[in-house]
Amino acid sequence: MTKTIVITSGKGGVGKTTTSASFAVGLATRGYKTAVVDFDIGLRNLDLIMGCERRVVYDFVNVIRKEANLNQALIRDKHIKELFILPASQTRDKDALTVEGVAEVLAELSKTFDYIVCDSPAGIERGAQLAMYFADSAIVVTNPEVSSVRDSDRMLGLLSSKTKRAEDGRDKITEHLLLTRYSPKRVARGDMLSLSDVNEILAIPLLGVIPESQAVLRASNSGDPVILDKDSDAGQAYLDAVARFLGENVSHRFIEEERNWLKRLLNFKKEVV
Amino acid sequence: MKKEPCFQFKANFLPCAVLQILSDDWTHFDQQLTDAVRKAPSFFLNLPVVIDLDKISAVEQINFLHLKELLVAHQMVPLGVRGGSDAQHQLAEANSLSLLPGGKLSNFDKKQDKKEELILLTKLVTTPVRSGMQIYARDGDLIVTASVSAGAEVLADGNVHIYGPLRGRVLAGVTGNLQARIFCDALEAELVSIAGYYLTKDDCQKQALSPGMKQIYLENEHVRIEMIQPQRVPAEMV
Ligand SMILES: Nc1ncnc2c1ncn2[C@@H]1O[C@H](COP(=O)(O)OP(=O)(O)O)[C@@H](O)[C@H]1O
Ligand SMILES: [Mg+2]
Repeated sequence: MTKTIVITSGKGGVGKTTTSASFAVGLATRGYKTAVVDFDIGLRNLDLIMGCERRVVYDFVNVIRKEANLNQALIRDKHIKELFILPASQTRDKDALTVEGVAEVLAELSKTFDYIVCDSPAGIERGAQLAMYFADSAIVVTNPEVSSVRDSDRMLGLLSSKTKRAEDGRDKITEHLLLTRYSPKRVARGDMLSLSDVNEILAIPLLGVIPESQAVLRASNSGDPVILDKDSDAGQAYLDAVARFLGENVSHRFIEEERNWLKRLLNFKKEVV
Repeated sequence: MKKEPCFQFKANFLPCAVLQILSDDWTHFDQQLTDAVRKAPSFFLNLPVVIDLDKISAVEQINFLHLKELLVAHQMVPLGVRGGSDAQHQLAEANSLSLLPGGKLSNFDKKQDKKEELILLTKLVTTPVRSGMQIYARDGDLIVTASVSAGAEVLADGNVHIYGPLRGRVLAGVTGNLQARIFCDALEAELVSIAGYYLTKDDCQKQALSPGMKQIYLENEHVRIEMIQPQRVPAEMV
């Protein structure tokens, strides 16, 4: 059975596209045939992050308008043969997507793919609602700040009411929280909400914490999703998150601030006394 | 081309009263209304009033013009009529009174049998009420066993009970029930309101509240927050 995953957040610039790219690579590396679909019509970011922007000929909107067939529009990933990208159109507007059109494309992808990863645009309007409408699971990408948490809360409300699963009265979408751009140092300074603050407000299972990392920018520039940078903290965090998504038990990392051993020893002593 | 929106629709509930007409003896009606207004003048001042005709549906010729004048003379704002018969509706509309939803005899919501109505009275919500969501228990109480997020709104004509963390807006007695109450535990609400009287988040935070169940109610037009103390049986009585 094909699983459709939406990567959503409400707020823009929190790391949805970064997450979509790395998640798709992670799933495909595990041997699952994966398609990653860019729903952000008009912006077209995913193909840049995936490093295939020069190979875009047809896009999602062309397929919906029957100007091209799906196989013509799908781009095979340069690294992993199980992975395909369906790019967004840069020239059309958001209204080019229709429920029927999206339904048709997803149904056709379901014939051959194990996972369909939908990269949602920001906002709570039509584009974002279409990206989530057919989903089985949702990864809610949140930054540790009040406005992002509030927007994620709003998305969770929409996920529980404005999706096909909700309308059909089937089991509800499985919800996962991915806290990205997390900086334990800034949490300690009180500049950012902590993991427990966010958890208390959203109260959904935590899929992972992705640290704020230089590696993400480097990855975007080179067009190789950060999960491929196995030595980087963000790359490892995404590998962990994919493993947890697949049901593996991996303990959480990158949550605490690194402390030097002396400080740790002093703290330990204090606790013993 | 002008891009900025010229208006915005907002979901809102203004407190209004339903005036159930029991008799068309307008002389006595006027006397009784004068008495009522004297007892609580500020409650009636500019109060929107819905005229309910269910109890007087047998009387075909109602002098709506006179009734309207009576209400206006007492500083009330007649909004329209509900319930009653079709003949009454025609007459009301001829006198510029709108036909409003509600009322047992109205065509808007025919409630088939009493039993169903009783079951519908309490609305139960077991999943989180997220930011941007609004839940309204019409004609009854609302029970929420999960959280109410900041940016969410829960309302009821009756009481509101909230067992999860309360961070949004909560309004009880929205159609004017002054007896309605709010029951909650962790109170970080953006707004609490009873029958249109309200406290903001700042007002709530000024009262140093300890953890535990609280009730919020109206007393002399002031919203009060009170801890619900568990009733302890005095030792000597055990
Ligand atoms: N973990 C991270 N550390 C540092 N920068 C990040 C991280 N995740 C995302 N970014 C940066 O944030 C910006 C927005 O990311 P993007 O994935 O495009 O967000 P969205 O799709 O939600 O708008 C990009 O410049 C990206 O490089
Ligand atoms: Mg994006």
